[in-house]
Amino acid sequence: MTTFINTVFINNPLEQFEIKEFFYMGGPLLGAKFSLTNIGLYLIIVTILVLGMSYLSLNNNKVVPSRWSIVQESLFGSILNMIKSTIGGKGEAYLPFLYTIFLYVLLSNLIGLVPYSFTPSSHFVFGIGFSVAILIGVTILGFQTHALKFFGLFVPAGTPLGLVPVLVMIETISYLARALSLGLRLTANMIGGHVLLKIFSTFTWKAVIGGPILLLISIIPFAFIIAFTGLEIAIAFIQAYVFTMLTASYLNDAINLH
Amino acid sequence: MLQSAKIIGAGLATIGLAGAGVGIGTVFAALVNSTARNPSIKAQLFSYTILGFALTEAIGLFALMMAFLLLYS
Repeated sequence: MTTFINTVFINNPLEQFEIKEFFYMGGPLLGAKFSLTNIGLYLIIVTILVLGMSYLSLNNNKVVPSRWSIVQESLFGSILNMIKSTIGGKGEAYLPFLYTIFLYVLLSNLIGLVPYSFTPSSHFVFGIGFSVAILIGVTILGFQTHALKFFGLFVPAGTPLGLVPVLVMIETISYLARALSLGLRLTANMIGGHVLLKIFSTFTWKAVIGGPILLLISIIPFAFIIAFTGLEIAIAFIQAYVFTMLTASYLNDAINLH
Repeated sequence: MLQSAKIIGAGLATIGLAGAGVGIGTVFAALVNSTARNPSIKAQLFSYTILGFALTEAIGLFALMMAFLLLYS
């Protein structure tokens, strides 16, 4: 029994984020090494889930919607409302982009809450990869629509001439910091939540094996774990929503220039 | 010696959470205040509040990231 406890026991709360390699292929012919890791596997699962959800909600092109279609339509409607309130009429062209981002981030947050699974969004390569790509795309879009007038974004209206050089520097830095902060927010939230759950469950496990009195007391931290799991589900939704909303507001800067 | 310095540094990094706590409190206090003044725009205010909450919480999580960097690097 003691050996079982010692092997199951997880000492490091960051151990759950370790990337493991399942198999790889490569050699002199291919030149590079292609490997399937657990983050790759989970990203594939999330992609299949997104595609499967969309396929199920088509409901064989029937006019009467099924339950899947109603879920999909209400999600679609709320994202469309968000775009209308942040960007306006011009932003409706970006609805498929923002909708895909919302669904992908949401499902990769939620899949990590399945016990013994891996969270793809708890890696910086996920969040910062997304946000850097979004910032590059938004900048290209801004230059395409406004040409050199896009630099007007870095000078707030009504600035005295003496303050312009300082403000341009500050605004440029804050514009470029978006690439980091957007992804860092999502990733840090996911890491923080999962580490919190792991530390709490370690604490509870120590109380459970401690003795009969501690076993009774351990009901209290156990209730906390359940409450935190509920909070984590809420945070998964909130972070996906915030990620989409901030992407929409960056698009708004590029399309409408403040 | 280095190990204990790391642990002390990670503990000091959590002081930053005081600011995040004050910030989240301010965000929700503003929501309660403005809902009491004008209950008809509650839904619109709530979405702004969630955005403000997430932005404030992220600042607190930067302190967490610093603590991890100090502990595990």
